[in-house]
Amino acid sequence: MGQILQYVINGLMSGAIYALIGVGIVSVYKATKVVNFAHGYLIMFGAYFYYTFSVIVPGMEIMPDWLASWQPEWLLAWKAGLPMFSPMAAVADWIANLPRIGLGLVGAMVCNTLLGLLIERVLMRPLMGQSTFAMIMITVGMISILSGAASLIWSADADFVPHISPNAPIRFTLFGTTIFLFGADLVNMIIALLLFAAIVAMVRFTTSGVAIRATAEDQSTAYSMGISVPKVFSGAWALASLTGAIAGAILATRNGISPSLGLFGFSVLAIVLMGGLDSYGGVLIASLVIGVIEALTQWKLGGDWAEVVPYVAVLIVILIRPHGLFGQKEVERI
Amino acid sequence: MITGNLKSTYAADEQVFDNRNKKLFFAACILFLVGLGLFANDYVILMACRMGLMLIAVVGLNVVVGYTGQMSLGHAAFVAVGAYTTVVFYHLVGPYFPAGIMTILAFAVAIAVSAFVGLIVGLPSLRVKGLYLAVATLAANFIVIFLIEQDLFKPWTGGMVGTDTPTPNLFGWELDTKREMYAMITTMAVLMLLFVQNLLRTRIGRAFIAIRDRDYSAEIMGISLLRYKLLSFAISAGYCGAAGALWAFFFARILPEQFELTLSLQLVAALIVGGMGRTMGPVFGVIIILLVPELIKLGFGGLTGGDASMGKYRAPLQEIAFGLLIIAFLMFEPLGLVAITDRILRAMNRWPFAR
Repeated sequence: MGQILQYVINGLMSGAIYALIGVGIVSVYKATKVVNFAHGYLIMFGAYFYYTFSVIVPGMEIMPDWLASWQPEWLLAWKAGLPMFSPMAAVADWIANLPRIGLGLVGAMVCNTLLGLLIERVLMRPLMGQSTFAMIMITVGMISILSGAASLIWSADADFVPHISPNAPIRFTLFGTTIFLFGADLVNMIIALLLFAAIVAMVRFTTSGVAIRATAEDQSTAYSMGISVPKVFSGAWALASLTGAIAGAILATRNGISPSLGLFGFSVLAIVLMGGLDSYGGVLIASLVIGVIEALTQWKLGGDWAEVVPYVAVLIVILIRPHGLFGQKEVERI
Repeated sequence: MITGNLKSTYAADEQVFDNRNKKLFFAACILFLVGLGLFANDYVILMACRMGLMLIAVVGLNVVVGYTGQMSLGHAAFVAVGAYTTVVFYHLVGPYFPAGIMTILAFAVAIAVSAFVGLIVGLPSLRVKGLYLAVATLAANFIVIFLIEQDLFKPWTGGMVGTDTPTPNLFGWELDTKREMYAMITTMAVLMLLFVQNLLRTRIGRAFIAIRDRDYSAEIMGISLLRYKLLSFAISAGYCGAAGALWAFFFARILPEQFELTLSLQLVAALIVGGMGRTMGPVFGVIIILLVPELIKLGFGGLTGGDASMGKYRAPLQEIAFGLLIIAFLMFEPLGLVAITDRILRAMNRWPFAR
């Protein structure tokens, strides 16, 4: 019993990150009816940008020392007084890394948003109003371009990146079993869920969110009601690449930097389809469920079986409910 | 010059080669392929064999994507099934049959097993279409490769490290050189291309095209979607299985990673570049998709003078070029190279009166 609880919590934590990745796919789909097959590679770019701005840039000669490792007097004094490997020592390490984490996050968000806007402007906008098939296949072509470009730019080997939050081990008792967690994972989950909630609230309540929903309903009607559809398009791509940058930074701290981060996009795509392409709630539920099933599979069958869980799940769900668990059924006229 | 296709009987209208130019073109192609086999050097033969292998798979993909209008991003899985079925079949029943007929048997079994897997993967096509189907087939691709890599099946498939493949043997004639394999692959490719052309002028082919144009309308007209969508997937998977079997015979070793998403994307890219739903589309597409990386390799070697430290930039550049090809064709010529050749031929036909 005790073990299950631990794995369920682990699963929920990775599920939250799937949800954060999925929100990018859903936002782009809602606004533009394009399913972004290359979203995983956008996330990979986010991870590499985070790596660039938190490891490579602070390590340069011209940068001040405090950027790489911030060590004010009071921090050193406090750290000296702490016992080794205590949770507070992890916090002290985190404070020393704070400048480069901040630079990394800001840099990743800015650069990735620019990349998303560039993709939208150059590749998506010219095809606006034409068949979505061509646009979807263009995102398929983007897979190769992005992964090729990443290995061209960042030829360095896998490297360590600083955790976004203090990585203190946490131990507590729940229903009589001891649960063991890393602080960073917990904070990552909270960040992911907060961002998810913020985006859902934005789409529901703000003017630009209403514009996105109107465009999703009917592009030409939205256009004639005075909504600038191209702006909605670029807004959706900016949103997707912004969340992608944060998800990439989180994934980089969890799994390390490597070109295989792009493959995450495909399993998340499967999860999104399972939940329903146009439903934020469905994606959240599907992500958490798949996260938990993956963790349980990992526990019972081993790590590599967990990889195919999303794909098997999406095949089963699609056969039973073709538009996902919570997706809206498309009405087709002949 | 041919300015029109006047036909006075239905039989003449239904011919595969319905005018003189097509017959001449086909004859010229056959002559060219024979000449290539006799006089080309080993490098050209190797490239031609790779193109032939891929052509068979793309022709199969064309049946599903180009003619039946169902999207698939997972056809590499069927190639994998074909290749591994061949190897496993040799392992299991190889000792009980004479070597001379094993090749043909294995080839047939590979096609049958792939077609059966195609039926299963095609099942979602009855419920979903377009992009849902694309993701469903993508998922199937991941699952098939995953199963091949499993330790459970390692005695037969060799797991992650791959497995050695048998040498083909046609009634005692061992095809152990690349040139002999070239003969086999080319013959198969031409035959299979003709078979698809023939299929498309039958009731089945017309049903496929009706489903592509509007599936509900096709169903109202009495075409069973269940039957023809699954049939389309089965035929297409059978083609990929044939390509896989030849792949296993051609290369000395097969690895599961050869059949991952990259190959699926290559097949789709070849179809987009060449032109979907056209006979020559796969042919042009495969030539471009395999030739461009090769040209980059040659050009890159020439520019850097074989500098080893620059070598690591070659693979990413090839990848980027591949993506650019897909995107450029989608944006500027979505109908593919076939549309371009059509335009050129039309212009030549009307010259000097109009362009």
